[in-house]
Amino acid sequence: MREAHFWLLQLVTGLVLIVLLGLHMIVIHLETILGFLGLGAGGAVAYASVMERAASSPWTWFYIIFLALALYHGLYGLRTIILELTLSRTASTVVTVLLVIVGIAAFSFGTYVTWQAYAG
Amino acid sequence: MAEGRKRENYLGIKGWVRAGRYGLERYLYFLQRLTGFGLIIYLLIHLYETSFRLRGEVTWEGVMGLFDQPVFAVLEYVVMAAFIFHALNGLRLVIEELGFALGKPRRPVYPYETSLQRQRPFMWAIGVLIIVFLVVSLYDFLV
Amino acid sequence: MFTEEQIITFKVQRFDPERDQGPYLKEYHVPYTQGLTVLDGLYYIKEKLDGSLAFRASCRMAVCGSCGMFINGKPHLACHTQITELESTVLEIRPLPNYSVIKDLVCDFTPLFAKHKAIKPYIIRREAGEIDNPTREFLQSPAELESYLQFSYCMKCGLCLAACPTAATDRNFLGPQALGQAYRYCADSRDDGLAERVKEIDHAHGVWRCHLAGACSEACPKGVDPALGIQLLKRQVVLRAVGLGKGRKLAAVVPPPSGQAKPRVEAPPFTVPRAKAEIAAGDSRS
Repeated sequence: MREAHFWLLQLVTGLVLIVLLGLHMIVIHLETILGFLGLGAGGAVAYASVMERAASSPWTWFYIIFLALALYHGLYGLRTIILELTLSRTASTVVTVLLVIVGIAAFSFGTYVTWQAYAG
Repeated sequence: MAEGRKRENYLGIKGWVRAGRYGLERYLYFLQRLTGFGLIIYLLIHLYETSFRLRGEVTWEGVMGLFDQPVFAVLEYVVMAAFIFHALNGLRLVIEELGFALGKPRRPVYPYETSLQRQRPFMWAIGVLIIVFLVVSLYDFLV
Repeated sequence: MFTEEQIITFKVQRFDPERDQGPYLKEYHVPYTQGLTVLDGLYYIKEKLDGSLAFRASCRMAVCGSCGMFINGKPHLACHTQITELESTVLEIRPLPNYSVIKDLVCDFTPLFAKHKAIKPYIIRREAGEIDNPTREFLQSPAELESYLQFSYCMKCGLCLAACPTAATDRNFLGPQALGQAYRYCADSRDDGLAERVKEIDHAHGVWRCHLAGACSEACPKGVDPALGIQLLKRQVVLRAVGLGKGRKLAAVVPPPSGQAKPRVEAPPFTVPRAKAEIAAGDSRS
């Protein structure tokens, strides 16, 4: 794996996220628009509505994949910004390792929460 | 050659922000990383915030109740706006950074026409799309 | 707006690392004459007002790329910039940013040249001997020529790095000059060096640090359009990384045409051989 592969993955995750995050934003925030289309149940962030989505397996998979892609895209982008500040070789490696750890930790936490909500 | 004393003259982060009289693309460069930075920080907070759904209905509604204040409604719209800009401008960048929509190399004949000028119609189309989405979502937030 | 005998104010950044604590602006007043360029103004200052002003210039016709400076907030070649086109009678002239200043308006271009060298700016072929001791010639179509010709006009004036936002913070970034030249060679049908150059451009401070701010192409005084070259280079490197783009046809080598009589081309009238021939033929026009 060279930098080219990671960069290409950044583009691909970006493109997929336009769809996934777009869907997420529409479902959670654009209730009026959904209402016009006859789809909106209203109160997407009400507890009952949240737990209803949490209990469905398509939504559970959606959230887990969505989280993985968003974390990769976001943290790789953050690394890009930090590395452009001209760090030493050691500092660059430390930043990369730290961001990988943050990514794995956040993914584990998010997946645990999603799974608990699904199973419980 | 004897190495004389020199004075470093790098613009630093000011060079990202201040695009002066350069083209719009240099402003978009900074906005793309600003919105990207904001979104990843928001994602990490959002991940923690939404984990409260495990603690039952009372805790969840308590946390969500915090966000009913107008300050958070504005912030919510800012996140939405950042996403709309980052996604659509990002789509433009994906296409152009793979060498599309920029035209082919040509002989430099004065006055020079750059690839950036050739992508401007596409950029303006994306700009219009961004504004449409911003207005539509603003309408939804206000209603 | 501009009339003869109008006074143009030159605010020039002065800095002598041996003596000064920091850079400061010094004002000079130069009378406007028709066709006055910024470089003409600087020469006027150096000859008539202040001989200690240091700047670098040579050809005064936008060919050598020595006199790049930051004029009213943008990088320009001083010789290629008319006072009238700046639409201001007050000029602020500073050394190019994103380099180190040696003195006054003179910057250190060592990093620029080192980065240019790093991307191997020459034709690379598997059969190395053919490059050093050519016995045959390469066949290249006009379309193949056009695909890289634009980028070969680069004269290393360094204006693009002064305009680049990434170069403002990332000192190890190869920059638009070097990356544009990397594409100039990678796009050349005679060249087979992408695999070798990938090592130099596909890393954390290489081609991926360009995010298409486009300022380099806007600043370039030769219309090289480095931003276009860099994006096309990204496509080449990405295609190679996923195992595509191998079907690129290299220019064929063929023996030079032989057995044909060389066409006789008459020397132009101003050349010495022609003049001698005419004298020998007794042609006296005096």
